[in-house]
Amino acid sequence: MTGKTHRQDFKAYAADYGQRYGILIALVLVCVALSVANEFFLTQRNIINVLRQASINGILAIGMTFVILTRGIDLSVGSVVALAGVVSASFATTSATAGIAGAPYGFYIAISIGILVGMAAGWINGILVAYFNVPAFVTTLGMLSAARGLTLLYTGGRPVPSLTPEYRNVGTGDVFGIPMPIILFAVVFIAAFLVLSSTRFGRHVYAAGGNPHAARVSGINVKRVRMMVYVISGALAGLAGMILAARTGSALPQAGIAYELDAIAAVVIGGTSLSGGVGQVTGTLIGALLISVVNNGLDLMGVESYYQQVIKGMLIVAAVMLDQARHKHA
Amino acid sequence: MTKLLKTMTLAAAFMGSTAAIAQDVPRIGAAVYGLNAEFMQLWAAALEQHPAVVEGKVNVTIFDGRYDALVQQEQFETMITQGFDAIIFVPIDIEAGATAVQAAHDAGIPVVGSNTRVNSDLLLSYVGSDDVQSGYMEARYVLDQIGCEGGVVIIEGPIGQSAQIERLEGNMQALAECPDVTVLEQQTANWSRAEAQTLMENWLTRHGDNIKGVIGQNDEMALGAIEAIRGAGLDVNDFAIAGIDGVTDALMAVKNGDMASILQDGAAQAQGALDVAIAAVLDGYEPMSPIWEQYADMPWNGGTDAEYNVPWTPVTAENVDALLEMRQ
Repeated sequence: MTGKTHRQDFKAYAADYGQRYGILIALVLVCVALSVANEFFLTQRNIINVLRQASINGILAIGMTFVILTRGIDLSVGSVVALAGVVSASFATTSATAGIAGAPYGFYIAISIGILVGMAAGWINGILVAYFNVPAFVTTLGMLSAARGLTLLYTGGRPVPSLTPEYRNVGTGDVFGIPMPIILFAVVFIAAFLVLSSTRFGRHVYAAGGNPHAARVSGINVKRVRMMVYVISGALAGLAGMILAARTGSALPQAGIAYELDAIAAVVIGGTSLSGGVGQVTGTLIGALLISVVNNGLDLMGVESYYQQVIKGMLIVAAVMLDQARHKHA
Repeated sequence: MTKLLKTMTLAAAFMGSTAAIAQDVPRIGAAVYGLNAEFMQLWAAALEQHPAVVEGKVNVTIFDGRYDALVQQEQFETMITQGFDAIIFVPIDIEAGATAVQAAHDAGIPVVGSNTRVNSDLLLSYVGSDDVQSGYMEARYVLDQIGCEGGVVIIEGPIGQSAQIERLEGNMQALAECPDVTVLEQQTANWSRAEAQTLMENWLTRHGDNIKGVIGQNDEMALGAIEAIRGAGLDVNDFAIAGIDGVTDALMAVKNGDMASILQDGAAQAQGALDVAIAAVLDGYEPMSPIWEQYADMPWNGGTDAEYNVPWTPVTAENVDALLEMRQ
């Protein structure tokens, strides 16, 4: 919590309340409307579908939340999804041509490689943003282009097919009937929630984003915090890339295009302020779910996909207007 | 100062010599819509492996249009400025490409279309495959499998692209022959496997067992549907699924008995277009690509036909191993 909520200003309190619960109320309303409009919406299978479809974007959005909390932005996650996907898949393929020498390697090696690729990309972003003061928008825009180029170079533009069953399990397996992507999404969410709410690093993220100067004065290593959030975002993009590859059956070099936009949308809809320091991963979780519920509901009702884009656009703008209203009153 | 002069003389001499080389061998530019996907990679590789290029009879430069009509137009301007002798054009957009063709035509540079169409009558020739036909063939396969009755879904390419328009036309021709078949859903997944997978998951929830067939306008989207069916715990063999292009993953799925695919011979489209372009530049040129022998249905006719139709090859259990072998 940031302290702003303790102000004795009713308007501010109302606006804050509206922002924090408004999005949850919106999600509930949309779900109620869809379950009335469509008999399949509330079936167990469909709920699993919605959660599974939300998981990749949700994982990216959680990483994005850390970055945006420090007043940054990570435009590179879509490309890092593809890069980490193809590199890790090349360690887990039985194809003689697409794999690297000695492939397939064990599951844990391939997965570790994917996470490391994501972390490396994030680390480069973080170093440039935190220590060389390159604007985050520019740095990660550069990485968006460079990582996509590296992906195409690495694969020659071709998919990496024939992934080992253990690797595919990350996308298609389940535990007690719950698909693996949902479990991973839940684990990432809980970990991020705990880190942000009850660790020193979490408090530093809020401090570095809310008031960097004050944070620096109070002895927080703001540069290190700013670097770390990009490493987290990169690592989660790596994880998302592997889930995507495992789900689609091949690691595709053109995977993840424009995924950064949905991730940013989920964060913004979830009420995290682009001006830093304010927001929670619970909001991001709800934002990611809302996007998926809307897409799924419109598919179920046979509405053309173009409407989905329009509605998503309106959601984003509405969420930011809520955010503005809150800042004006606070 | 003398040093600077020397450098400038050297540079001038160097530029002169490269210009001389360029005059000896015809320079042909290939402007393709984008090199991110496997199909265009195969197309581009075949162009560079054309015997005339390997033997140094012509110089070929490939320009990556990065899926942007404006980028392609600027690349045309570059080629015109540099005095290329001929251009092979694979446009991103059926309408936007026409301006670029006009500009090259005004500069006296012949343009040969390949793979995707452009709405221009100034093309010297077009070497591609008839997408209406492939759309008909894949839909016909699905309809035959389901006995011409029941529900099907169509997963479309990006609305407005020539392949989407023409493949849909073919799909509809076949569907018109089966009045008892209902099209339950018809949406775009933008050629993307991941998007098609999400669509299919949601459609399976809505229609369940009523979906008997999946008409994917390309292989990637058909593969996405297969993953969605598996993910829902259903048996892929209960569905008739077809795609177009013959990408490697689809060949493996055909081998596995999961789907049908129709191979689009991008290599033949590329090499055929290059032969036609060279014939327009060099008098008395005889085509050097082996494709003209491979496809007896597509006669060379001196390289002057307005359209060359590279035949589609249905991928079957019999020929799939040989096709996979060629990809190694």
